[in-house]
Amino acid sequence: MYRKQVRRRRAVLALLIVGSFALLTLTYGQGSNGLQRGVTAVFTPVSTVLDRALKPARDLINWVDETFDARGKNDKLEEELEVARKQAVGGKVALAENREYRELLGLSKSGAIPEGYEPVTGRVIGLSPTVWYSDVMIDVGSGDGVKQGDPVINGQGLIGRVTAVTGGASKVTLISDHSSVVSVKVVPAGVLGIVKPTVGEPNTLVLSFLNSDKNIHKGQMVVTAGWSSEELESRFPPNIPVGEITKASVIVQEAQEKVNVRPYADLRNLGTVQVLTGGSR
Amino acid sequence: MILTPKILARLIVVGIFGVLLQLTFFSQVELFHVSPDVLPALVVCLGLLGGTMTGAVSGFAIGFLLDCLLIQPLGGASLVLIAVGYAAGMFRERFEIHSRLVVPLLCALLTFAAELGFGAVEAMFGIDTDVSILVLRDILIQSAFAFFLGWAIYVGLRRLVRPALVDEATVRRTRRPTVLGA
Repeated sequence: MYRKQVRRRRAVLALLIVGSFALLTLTYGQGSNGLQRGVTAVFTPVSTVLDRALKPARDLINWVDETFDARGKNDKLEEELEVARKQAVGGKVALAENREYRELLGLSKSGAIPEGYEPVTGRVIGLSPTVWYSDVMIDVGSGDGVKQGDPVINGQGLIGRVTAVTGGASKVTLISDHSSVVSVKVVPAGVLGIVKPTVGEPNTLVLSFLNSDKNIHKGQMVVTAGWSSEELESRFPPNIPVGEITKASVIVQEAQEKVNVRPYADLRNLGTVQVLTGGSR
Repeated sequence: MILTPKILARLIVVGIFGVLLQLTFFSQVELFHVSPDVLPALVVCLGLLGGTMTGAVSGFAIGFLLDCLLIQPLGGASLVLIAVGYAAGMFRERFEIHSRLVVPLLCALLTFAAELGFGAVEAMFGIDTDVSILVLRDILIQSAFAFFLGWAIYVGLRRLVRPALVDEATVRRTRRPTVLGA
């Protein structure tokens, strides 16, 4: 009797393992399948309600974490404020110039949203729990005009791109995911490169140069370049802010042709995001 | 654990609620820059209460739902959580839980193993970028969270499935009657 029980138990275990491997083999590399679309269609409304209901509790815990984090950052922020004030003056001048150039060229005055793209606003309703994946689920899908490959931004800058879509929800793979590659340029230096993440450090991206004749400096801005190649599956529209250079020693630049970039967007605390639909891809 | 339809329904609700709570709450809060992952701890507790089969099947189902909701390749999370559930069930069938520390420790240890397992599944398909040593720190912090949350999950689950627990029924039957006025 006992041996029969053990045999049955082992058979179920083997079945579950074989089933998991079979599912992995069948579904790897697919965007989304019918089953996943069905399950997300059922659970997205529940997730949205839970997400809204639990927001105060989440904010409380995150506030505790941020309070700990904020201690000791005050001096650094004051220094940054000083620099930002100077930049703001320069920025106002640049904005005025920009407005004139746009009018001259007959471009849209929309500013942040690139020409030809229609923003669709969504809320983050789920995040992957492990440290290995950087995916978020948002509550807009193909029903709202979202397509696979669409770039996703928030008020701070580039977040990632849509990698799977169902009727009412989409999966956004963040720029901190190990599969992410973004073509960028450093402004005002004009250096071109690609930005890749480091698994385990969501606040650090690595910029590898493609043309390294100019040195770049700490604090310079990194924006999307808008070009694609064989390695880059999806093209992001140009001039979306990605982050700023945090470490740029001349020796490391020349030896490794790499610098560190801190993304502008806080990729672990995402709330409302915008999917840029339409446009050329 | 004696699996009646009522208990099965409770376990299904626990699994669904656990996954939804993970995605909408735990994954979106940060303490020490790390989000807690309660799902391995939940599967460990189910394995400890129900044995190898309950652990493995619940691991498969919870992993499957997680992969469905995150639109990931199906089976990856299941594979890891089956192993976690089965290991917890094996522990329950071979050893007695004498100390209150056993459950949290097991939750922490198996969460650590599960996170490494998730990494192994991901590595199976190729990781193109650098992997920072800080991943290990994050996994250790997640294991610490599992240590503290594990006991709470275990106590809550135990209360929920109490009518189905064999040892609990034995304890109730053998409890000495209270003598009034003694």
